[in-house]
Amino acid sequence: MDASALPSVSARLPRRPPVEPLASDPAVASVPQDGPPAAVRRAPETLHPALWLGHQLGRAGVQTVASGFAALDAELPGGGWPRRVLSELLLPHPGVGEIRLLAPALVGAQRAGRQVMLFDPPAALSAGALAALGFGVEELLVVQTRARRVDGPKLASLTASREDRAGLGAARRPVLPGSDSLWALEQALKSGHVGAVVAWLPPRLRVERLRRLQLAAHGHDGPAFVMREAAAVARPTASPLRLSLHAAGGDRLLLRILKRRGPPLETPLELELPSVLSGAARRRSPIDRERRRFLHVATFVDIA
Amino acid sequence: MLWVALHLPSLSLESFAATLAGASAAQAPAGQAIALVDEHRIAAVNAAALAQGVKPGLKRATALALAPRIVLGQADAARDAEAMLPVAHAALAFTPNVSLQPASAPGAAADTVLLEVQGSLRYFGGLERLLQRLRASIEPLGHALAIACAATAQGAAVLARVDPPRRCATLEATRQALAAAPVWLLGPGRSHWEALQGMGLRRIGDLLGLPRAGLARRFGEKLLAEIDAAFGRRADPREPIVPARMFESRLELFARADSSEQVLHGAQVLLARLVAWLAAQHAFVRRFRLLMHHETRWQQGDRTPQATALEIALAEPSRDSAHLVVLLRERLAQVQLPAPTLELALQAEDIVKRAAPSGELFPTRQSEDEGLTRLIERLQARLGVEQVQRLAAVDDHRPERASCLHGAALARPARASERRAARGGQPPPGAAAKATRCPARPVWLQAPEPLAERNARPLLDGRPLGLLSGPERIESGWWDAELAERDYFIAETADGALVWIYRARLPLSSAGEGGWFLHGRFG
Repeated sequence: MDASALPSVSARLPRRPPVEPLASDPAVASVPQDGPPAAVRRAPETLHPALWLGHQLGRAGVQTVASGFAALDAELPGGGWPRRVLSELLLPHPGVGEIRLLAPALVGAQRAGRQVMLFDPPAALSAGALAALGFGVEELLVVQTRARRVDGPKLASLTASREDRAGLGAARRPVLPGSDSLWALEQALKSGHVGAVVAWLPPRLRVERLRRLQLAAHGHDGPAFVMREAAAVARPTASPLRLSLHAAGGDRLLLRILKRRGPPLETPLELELPSVLSGAARRRSPIDRERRRFLHVATFVDIA
Repeated sequence: MLWVALHLPSLSLESFAATLAGASAAQAPAGQAIALVDEHRIAAVNAAALAQGVKPGLKRATALALAPRIVLGQADAARDAEAMLPVAHAALAFTPNVSLQPASAPGAAADTVLLEVQGSLRYFGGLERLLQRLRASIEPLGHALAIACAATAQGAAVLARVDPPRRCATLEATRQALAAAPVWLLGPGRSHWEALQGMGLRRIGDLLGLPRAGLARRFGEKLLAEIDAAFGRRADPREPIVPARMFESRLELFARADSSEQVLHGAQVLLARLVAWLAAQHAFVRRFRLLMHHETRWQQGDRTPQATALEIALAEPSRDSAHLVVLLRERLAQVQLPAPTLELALQAEDIVKRAAPSGELFPTRQSEDEGLTRLIERLQARLGVEQVQRLAAVDDHRPERASCLHGAALARPARASERRAARGGQPPPGAAAKATRCPARPVWLQAPEPLAERNARPLLDGRPLGLLSGPERIESGWWDAELAERDYFIAETADGALVWIYRARLPLSSAGEGGWFLHGRFG
């Protein structure tokens, strides 16, 4: 029997060294063992969808939505963004390419005739940019559970005039209580009628709050993304998928999979996002230039 | 003709118990003894009071001596009539021919509803199923029911009071069942009950063999008329009730309600009545109003209003009582009541008549739309209407004006996805063309943030930005106060993110005194 077919069935243990007597000694091998049959040991997910081998990605029982990036799909358990659970995305600041990363999945939900809801986007959304990514702009629902911040006193007039036209100015309520923001998200997840949810969570969220959202997400048939600050990496999470995003110059996104059902991913993924830059402009990017220089060196070393 | 009689044996107690709902659940446990007092004598008691020895006919003081913790309420025929009407409304959903059987005792409220259901049997799939659904539709009103069937209206009303209620499909069976029924069930028989008993007449059947002239002389024509109507020997026309055009129901609370939770308890009773009224007309409510009458304060300069009105408008007309309760709870949680509430009133006028939604086992497109509307309503009820927004593109070159957020209207917006589905899942043809023509725009727009400058290069967080693309000139808005004359660049921050910055062309422009500004980030 091949040693690699004998990893432990227990889900989270890394691959163990092969146990020699089992593989070599025919007398021992022929004795009926206490453990599960070999087929189950090779594919424990047939036993229960929550089981998987330590060195492989969990596959069965995970309903997913294609992310639109083949490289990312290959690394996500089940081959895409999971449904019915929260996917946690850690961002250093808004604007690293997160919307372009999620756009294929969200637009796919809209095309299927389902509703996409955004909770507390961190800044004003631009309809033109979203339309260019393929969104049906008028069908997006934006839920403001915390009152909108006004950034600087200098620019308050501009912001205020925009809000006035949006009908938010005079009648706007004061800052809503913090519990309401999670209540609204929980209601949307629980209802099961929303196609996809993207929520920007308040910073320093307690883990039990997140666990509650994670429970609510079981009723949500679609991907649910929660955006959190990068500092949350030090805190535990209830969601089974956690990614951290970083901009990587030009139209690229550096993506680390911090937690998934499967082995940790050491090397970060670099994804090519839908471009906003022309080819010439991208070549002007200093980070990109540096990368290409490294590439040159690497090629040179290879030939040598 | 097949008549169904719905008899509510403890209507007066139940209508009183509904007003107790204002008190918190802890104060009124399930085993609470309740009795109604009419002219200083106990008129009706519930099972818990009966167990403590309180019987109808006792004096008030005696009852209090027997059960010191008993809740005594005043019998009120008007309150009973108000509680009776929803039962008739609920019955109207099954047949148009619904009438109230007048009470036998003078001054009391009717406690029996009569339905003629012969024409509805086929539609509802037989008498058993019809009665089952009838029970289910009356159940939210919280009444104990005795249901009897008979071939005559009067006969059904009498048989509903027999214990257990009888069901007779034919006239022959009705007559047999009536003959065995006690004589005091007949309305006029009650007043002559002692005389009848003295003569050894206990059952209605005993009266049948007696000479009619003698019976009429001793007990009046009415007794004979009633027997004839019950036995189907005399025409018994009934006037069907018609639901009022406008719904209004009141509930005077037994104890004043201090918290909104207590108000909600009472409002649930009224909502159940509203739903019954809607079901009678096959209608859905679009807007209703809860009036809370407050306790008056006799103080100089007291500004407490007499009543607080809570108006609730629905995006999608509904008659789902659970949904209405949820909306009301969210709205009530926000209202600060100026004074304790003594009386509740629910009014509804704005209704929509339409076919009932078909029941679906599996989720469908329609059920999802409906669920989504309810979700939005629920969010709006708690967060405020303007907090749930839709994005719209505006034709303007200035980026800060090219999109606007507006509160998701209560009315359903045109569903672009449906239109798109009709075209085969493709985005509108204009959108793609527009997208390619339009230069790149960042997803996130922020209020312009002035940037420092060093060696003619803009700095963000103290680190220089690399300009990758631009300039794109936007010069627009001279017609209103906010002229924009800007040169936009796409720049890269030190950590590799793309930002959208501009240089104001003219120092005169309203956004400031020239220089670099950060306006957006490419999300």
